[in-house]
Amino acid sequence: MRFDQFVELAVGGFATGAIYGLIGLGFSMIIRATGILHFAQGEVMMLGAMFGWMTVTWVPLPFVAVLIVGMMFSGLAASALYLAIYRTMYVRDVPLMNIVIGTIGMSILLQNVSMLIWGSEPLAYPKFFAIETYRLGPVHLSPQLVWVFSLGFGLMLLLQAFLAFTRMGIALKASAQDPETAQLMGVNLTRSTTLTFAISGMMAGAAGVLLGSMFFASFNMGFLTGIKAFVAATLGGVGSIGGAMLGGVIFGLIETFSPQWISSGYRDAVGMVLLILILLVLPQGLVGLFARRR
Amino acid sequence: MVAGPVEFSTFQAGVGRAAVLVMLAIAPFVNNQLYFIHVMGLAMIAAIAALGMQLLIGCSGQLSMGQAAFFGIGAYTSGILTKDYGVPFPVAFVAAGLIAAISSLALAPITRLRDVYLAVATLGFTVIVFLILLNTEWLTGGSFGLMGIPRPSIGSISLSERGIYFLCFAVMVLIYFTFNRLVDSRFGRGLQAIMLDEDAAWSSGINVTLYKSKCFVIAAMVTGFAGSLFAAQVRYLNPDDFSFWKSIEILLMVAVGGIGSMTGAIVGAFVVVLLPEYLRAVDQWRLVIFGALLVLFMGLGKGGIAGFVSLTLGRATTILERKSRGLIGRKGVSQ
Repeated sequence: MRFDQFVELAVGGFATGAIYGLIGLGFSMIIRATGILHFAQGEVMMLGAMFGWMTVTWVPLPFVAVLIVGMMFSGLAASALYLAIYRTMYVRDVPLMNIVIGTIGMSILLQNVSMLIWGSEPLAYPKFFAIETYRLGPVHLSPQLVWVFSLGFGLMLLLQAFLAFTRMGIALKASAQDPETAQLMGVNLTRSTTLTFAISGMMAGAAGVLLGSMFFASFNMGFLTGIKAFVAATLGGVGSIGGAMLGGVIFGLIETFSPQWISSGYRDAVGMVLLILILLVLPQGLVGLFARRR
Repeated sequence: MVAGPVEFSTFQAGVGRAAVLVMLAIAPFVNNQLYFIHVMGLAMIAAIAALGMQLLIGCSGQLSMGQAAFFGIGAYTSGILTKDYGVPFPVAFVAAGLIAAISSLALAPITRLRDVYLAVATLGFTVIVFLILLNTEWLTGGSFGLMGIPRPSIGSISLSERGIYFLCFAVMVLIYFTFNRLVDSRFGRGLQAIMLDEDAAWSSGINVTLYKSKCFVIAAMVTGFAGSLFAAQVRYLNPDDFSFWKSIEILLMVAVGGIGSMTGAIVGAFVVVLLPEYLRAVDQWRLVIFGALLVLFMGLGKGGIAGFVSLTLGRATTILERKSRGLIGRKGVSQ
C-alpha cells in the first residue's frame, strides 16, 4: 500500500471512529449513571439522521445547522424515552435486567415505527461538501471526511469541557459516581439522569447526521452501528470520554483497514473477536491499562 | 407481579401441564391442515430453544444473546451431515447437540462476565457465527442457503409432517421434564443461589464459574438439538435465520412467557411464533407490536404470562379459601 493511500484510508477510519466515539460516549454515560445498557441508542442516532434529513429537505440549511437540529431532536427523544419508559420501570422497582431487555424492545419499536413513517428505502442527504479534494502534498483528502472527523471530535471536546468546568457538568459526574451522596449534596437525581440521557441523545443525534451525510439515512441504520459503537466504547474503557474517543478511533481504523488485510466478508467479525478478547483480558478497556500503571 | 420467580402450587402446575400435553398431543388430529402442523412444529422447536434460554436467564441470571449462534450451529451440523454425508438423522441429531455444546465450551471463559457484558459478548459471538455461516460457501452454501436436506427418517421409517410434529413434541416434553428435575436438584439450587447473590454463593462453596459454564453448555446443547429439528423440518437453511434477531426473538419468548418459569418459556414460544400468523392482516405492524409487548412485559416485572396466570390463580384460590372458610365457619380446617 502506498503512503498516500494509507493516509487517505486512515482519515476515513478517523471519521468513522469519530462517529462510533459519539455514539459510544452516550452508551458509557448512561451505563455509568444508571447501569442500563441502552440498546436503543443506535435508534436514537437513527432518529437524529431522520430528523436532520427532514429538516434539510424542507429548508436548505447549512450543514452545522442541520447537525444542531438533529442533535436537538435526538436529545429530546432520548430524554423522553427515559422519562416515559425507563424511569417508570425504575420507579416500579423492576430488576435492572428487565429494563435492559426493555431497551431492546424499545429499539425494535423505534425501528419499525420509523419504517412506517419514513419507509424502508434509504434516504439520501444532499451534497453538503465540495467534491474537490484538499491536497496535502501527494495526499488527497475528501473534505467530507475531514469535516465529519473534526466536527465529531470538536463535539466530544466540548462535552469534556462541559463536564469539567460547569456546575451542571460536575453535578452529572457526581451523580454518576455515587448517586446517593450526590443526592444528599443537593443534586436532583431525576434531573441529572434526564440530562445524561439528553446529552447522550444529542451526541447520538450528531453521529446520525454525520453518518447520514456520509451514506444514507435508513430505518435500520441504528442497531448494528449502535452495537459496534458500544464495542468501541468497551474497547476504550466504559465510563470515560477519552476512552470512548480512543476506542472509537481504534475501532474505526480496524474497520477501515481489515478489508485490506483480511477478507471483507469478515469485517464485522474482527471487531467482535476483539470485543470478546478485551472483555476477557482487560475488562476496564484500554484506559484501564493506563489507570493501573498510575 | 414484580417480586421474585414465578411460583405455582404443585396441583396447579400438574393440571396445567397435563392439559397442555393432551392438547398438543391431539392437535394434529383435530386440525389436519399440513400448514397448521408445520407451524405448530416450528413453535415447538422454538420452545426447545426457549427452554435453553430460560435455563440461562431464569435459573442462573445470565443474559445470553448468543442462542441464535448455537441454533445455527446445530441446524447446519445436522443439515450438512444428513445431506452431504448421508448420516442417519438420529446420529446427526445427537451430533448437532454435541457440536453446539463443544462450541459453547470454547466460549465458556466469557461466562465469567456479568450482566450486560455477557450479553454483548454473546451478541458478538452471534455476529461471528453468522458471518462464518455466510462466508464459508464451500460448506454452508453461503447466502444461497443449504438446500435439499433429506426428509428425516428413524430406522427405516421416513417421517411425515405429522411424524416430525411428534418428534418435536417428544423432544420438547423430554427436555421440559428434564429441566424441571434439574432445577429442583442440587445443581439447580446452586444456580438459584448464584442468581440471588453471586458473591454469597461463592463464599458458600459453590463454584460459580463452573456452575455457570455448565448451565451455558447445557443450554447450548439443547439449542443445538432445536437447530437439528429445525433443519429436519424446514429442510432449507439460510444464514439470515440465524442472525442476532433470532437471539432477540428467543429472548422475547422467555420474556413474554415469564422469566423463571419453564412452562412460561413454552407458552412464550408459542405466542411469539403463532401470533404473527394471526397478525397477517397487519403484517407491517407485527414488529411494532412485538417491541411494544417486550417493553410492556418487562415493565410489568419478570412474571410475563406465567406470572400473570399464577397471580390470578393465587388470588382466585385465596378468594375460594376465604369463601369456604366462611361456609365451614370456625370448625373449618385450620390453615
